[in-house]
Amino acid sequence: MENCMDVMHLIGVYTKTIMKSWFQYKVDAVLRSLAVFLRESTGIIVVYFTLLKFDTLNGWNVYEMLFLFSLLFVTYGILILFFTGLRDFGHTVRSGGFDRFILRPRGLLFQIIFVNADWFAAIGHGGLGITLFLVSAAKVGIVWSFDKVVYYLLAIFGGVLIQGAVFLFLATLNIYLLETGSLKELFYWNARKFAGYPVSIFHRAIQIGMIYIVPFAFVNYFPAQFLLRKEDMAAYPELFLYLTPVLGIVLYLLAYLFWRYSLKFYKSSGN
Amino acid sequence: MLDLELVSKFILSNITVHIPKGISVGLIGASGAGKTTFLKLACGLLSPERGNVYTFGKNPVENRSLLGKKMGCLLEKAPLFHGERSVLDNFRELQMVHRMPETEFLKEYRRLAECFDIGKQERELVKNLSFGQRRRAELVAVLLHRPELLLLDEPTTGLDETAKTVLREILQERIQDGMTVVMTSHELQEVSRICQRIMVLKQGTQMYYGEEAALLRQYAPMDCMRLKLSGRLPDLEDLPVKQYTLSGEELKLRYNSNHVTAAEILEHVLRQTSVQEITIKKPDLAEVIRNLELQEKWEDRQS
Repeated sequence: MENCMDVMHLIGVYTKTIMKSWFQYKVDAVLRSLAVFLRESTGIIVVYFTLLKFDTLNGWNVYEMLFLFSLLFVTYGILILFFTGLRDFGHTVRSGGFDRFILRPRGLLFQIIFVNADWFAAIGHGGLGITLFLVSAAKVGIVWSFDKVVYYLLAIFGGVLIQGAVFLFLATLNIYLLETGSLKELFYWNARKFAGYPVSIFHRAIQIGMIYIVPFAFVNYFPAQFLLRKEDMAAYPELFLYLTPVLGIVLYLLAYLFWRYSLKFYKSSGN
Repeated sequence: MLDLELVSKFILSNITVHIPKGISVGLIGASGAGKTTFLKLACGLLSPERGNVYTFGKNPVENRSLLGKKMGCLLEKAPLFHGERSVLDNFRELQMVHRMPETEFLKEYRRLAECFDIGKQERELVKNLSFGQRRRAELVAVLLHRPELLLLDEPTTGLDETAKTVLREILQERIQDGMTVVMTSHELQEVSRICQRIMVLKQGTQMYYGEEAALLRQYAPMDCMRLKLSGRLPDLEDLPVKQYTLSGEELKLRYNSNHVTAAEILEHVLRQTSVQEITIKKPDLAEVIRNLELQEKWEDRQS
């Protein structure tokens, strides 16, 4: 109990110092969050006006597409509050910051996760996700029962963990390679671009990648399918609709085991 | 406290050393001799390629988190602070990380902050500090939780003479209280003042580990005596003096202190003449390093 209080207190101290450092220039903080929001919105606006010219995309209308996007942005907004340290892990290793964490009497992953949080990205992405949800949720015909609300929350939880597992896996590769920026670009950011659209519209190879390799389809496509029940779901097993939370936990545990195994190969910076 | 058994890593080769509790050890050697690697092995940032490292009797790589409570490490490429946060916020984080009660933290922090004169900068962002200010704050950070083992890599870099004196006094006080210190420094005078034992590394090889006096006898035995004569020039034929020069009334003698003592020379001289002034210059650690470098160059030429 005392240990738990101590951990909560430490998280509180970290959060307070993070907020202080991110928001020391308040106008700049608002503008930077707005900049992230607008940057991400641009892509959505292009998609929105493009889709207005067509009726549907493989059976998905424009609001259903926005709902798909909303899951992507909401999960990323939450993800980045907890996994900024893993996103920036390459820099942390190269700057010697990881050595600092190693030499402190606290859990390594705990420090990496709680010592930093990109609030601008969280507000920008999360804000856009919520906006898209508010715009689309009422127009896609979902009847929000208790079960569906619970499912939605579990899907968000699973979606965050799936992306967290990808971040953790890529961060762990830094221990071996020191720099994994291009791998992150390839396996996370490029995969995420595909994830804005229904996975069913893509070539089989891309579908396999999105389902079995970097499973972004479970972050937004299958959860959206559970709520919307579109016809293109017929191409996939029904089980996929329920896998997101389980897959999130399993993938995160696997990534964590890989992390633990790899730590013994870590060579201090400067060597 | 700290044991290395036939340890090899990078340039370091077959290092065996036992550092007991409460001892201060200065690691000296030319750049690239393996000093920082030694410290990183001791704190668990590196695993040895061969041999065993035991810190507090445990493998430091497998017990990093446990040992973190008992150790303080100042390493050149492992910054202790977040640059975007204030000095005080960084110390508050350290308080939590080391689970220091508020009263204990305030007592230690205030005392150290006053000694190292960082009070005026505690609201500043770390990234805005000068190198010297940051170094003083870092020294406060590694001493704050009263570690039992302190590993310092070039701690005096960026410090002015006042801060160096403060550091020396605090370290001497803590060593008396039982803290173990292993430090590297190119400021050999500071090493000599702080450390009870010296370890000399030469291209990764352990040349010497022990007390400074014995090291000087082994690697820099040549003392220098200056005598201002007021009588005739003495006959030095019977003395094993390596070299002597006469300049006016001043006689300068260089001799191997392992072969003849200053007292023996003086007794010999005073039997023959009278002396107004006597100055004896003993070699220091810098001379050890110079001699080792000369020896290395000579060996290179031979091979």
